[in-house]
Amino acid sequence: MSYHFGRGWARWTPYLLLLPGLLFYFVVALGPSVATAVYSFTDATGIKGAPMHWIGFDNYREFLFMGRASIDNLDALKRTLIFCIAVTFLQFALGLLVALLVNQNLPGSNIFRTLYFMPVILGVVIQGLMWSLFLYPLGGPAAKLLQLFGTRSEFLGGQPSEAFAWVIAIQIWANMGTTMMIFLAGLQTIPSEMYDAARIDGANTLQVFQHVTWPLLTPSVNTNLLLNIIGSLQAWQLFLVLVGYRNGTQVLGYLIYATGFGQTSGSVTSSFRQGYAAAASIILFLLVLVIGMSVQYFLQRREQRILG
Amino acid sequence: MNTSSNRSYQPSIRIPWGKIFSYLALIFLALLYLGPIFMLVNTSLKSMPAFMKDATTLATELRFDNFIEAWNKANFPKYLLNSVIYTAAATTIYIITAIFVAFPIARGYIKFSGPVLTLFVIALFLPPALIPQFQLILNLGLYNNPIGYIMLFIVNPIGIVILVNYIKTVPKELDEAAALDGCGYFRFVWDIVLPLIRPAVATVVVMHAIGIWNEVIAPTIYLTNKNYYPITRGLIVFQGVYGSNWPTLAAAVLLLTLPMLLLFLFLQRYIVSGLTAGAVKG
Repeated sequence: MSYHFGRGWARWTPYLLLLPGLLFYFVVALGPSVATAVYSFTDATGIKGAPMHWIGFDNYREFLFMGRASIDNLDALKRTLIFCIAVTFLQFALGLLVALLVNQNLPGSNIFRTLYFMPVILGVVIQGLMWSLFLYPLGGPAAKLLQLFGTRSEFLGGQPSEAFAWVIAIQIWANMGTTMMIFLAGLQTIPSEMYDAARIDGANTLQVFQHVTWPLLTPSVNTNLLLNIIGSLQAWQLFLVLVGYRNGTQVLGYLIYATGFGQTSGSVTSSFRQGYAAAASIILFLLVLVIGMSVQYFLQRREQRILG
Repeated sequence: MNTSSNRSYQPSIRIPWGKIFSYLALIFLALLYLGPIFMLVNTSLKSMPAFMKDATTLATELRFDNFIEAWNKANFPKYLLNSVIYTAAATTIYIITAIFVAFPIARGYIKFSGPVLTLFVIALFLPPALIPQFQLILNLGLYNNPIGYIMLFIVNPIGIVILVNYIKTVPKELDEAAALDGCGYFRFVWDIVLPLIRPAVATVVVMHAIGIWNEVIAPTIYLTNKNYYPITRGLIVFQGVYGSNWPTLAAAVLLLTLPMLLLFLFLQRYIVSGLTAGAVKG
């Protein structure tokens, strides 16, 4: 592309002005991201000036195979996958259903759309505290509701599996609006003539969905699936606000944070095992990579089959 | 839903089952979103004894004691100011540098603009930078320091991609014409391109700012001095102290929720366009 804003030294202006942004990116994001792999082979701590040694694959060996802790780690890994599958499926299905409902342009549908999307701006702290109150076990609204059905629950303070299930539900509640919005944007790209044509051919609502909406929605389906899968594999902030670091509820992301910054026992004084946490980061990264790539591969083949 | 259309006659009054079902579903779901907010409002208006007696009865009077107590005890003005400073400083630095990264890439005014863009996209797929980032800030002596904290947020690769895509819609003839008139590169980008790409800039700014404002992990890692706490951290600490006093805590949460909700109504379209940018194209 020809450049019009001068020659000689002046030709370097774009490079010069680009430099700060690029530099920030290398120093703050790309560099550290790549360096995670390097740290994972060391016994780095979070203490300034403390010596650091190269220890090869020890962190990985310890994380995956050594003693009681590795069993907990593998449990956390399994839980991360369960969290991912549950959140992805439910959020995807709910987001799609709600987008279809809202897209009918019934009077008032704008209000519903805004309402469902609202948690996105509130952030995890407000989301978490709101639900902690709603799930107040001593006579809060959810407890009263269960009472009607003659049952009770400790909610977030109950059995680990129960607390875990509630976090899944709240995660979906908080992020369903995003999935809905992406589906809505996709639905709006489908020309109404397509629906009219299908109707004239005598298709019922289900057939219209199956043969018109669903295939033409492929790009948003792909985006949502990938975003949901990758997002839920890495999400753990709601665990921090809702249940804290509690045995039987941890997912990988939380485990990395807790071991790296000494929050395992709820106190700040325990050790900062940053080399070990970096190794756990790499394991999570590989998990995201393998799952993400396979899903992407599958989605692309499907897209070629459908859209040609 | 549409079975009646196959019949030879149309009944004069058709019950719109599809609509009824749709509204029922939408309203049911809406209750799940309004419920927690309503509970928050109701609790914040009650006294502690009244809440202990029955958590769900409706508040009988408008008393704002809880709000006053929350405001006074939680050090909110300080935390809010910190949040504003962090968000404004990091977002400003980010957007200015980002524009000058995105423009030459979009125009191909630098060598290897394609690979440079790829470099930014790669970041979305690389391992989390959490640990080395901490080591970096620690060794720069910026741990527990507002400047170090702001540094964490001056990068956002998705924003670059959005800007590049938008700048490509600005006609290239403009560059030539401006240059002929003797306009320099910096002035062209700043005075002519920037106003033209304002929608994309607004989207990126809003997305980036909300991310910083709502950040909850970084403050727990990087800021130990409570004079530096942003509002998210302040709220969690407040919960730790007043966790059992729900009326006060609810008032505190509400004090922070209301401005966000108001802002949300104005900014919604920017957030949505940021989310859906590129999401629906093939």
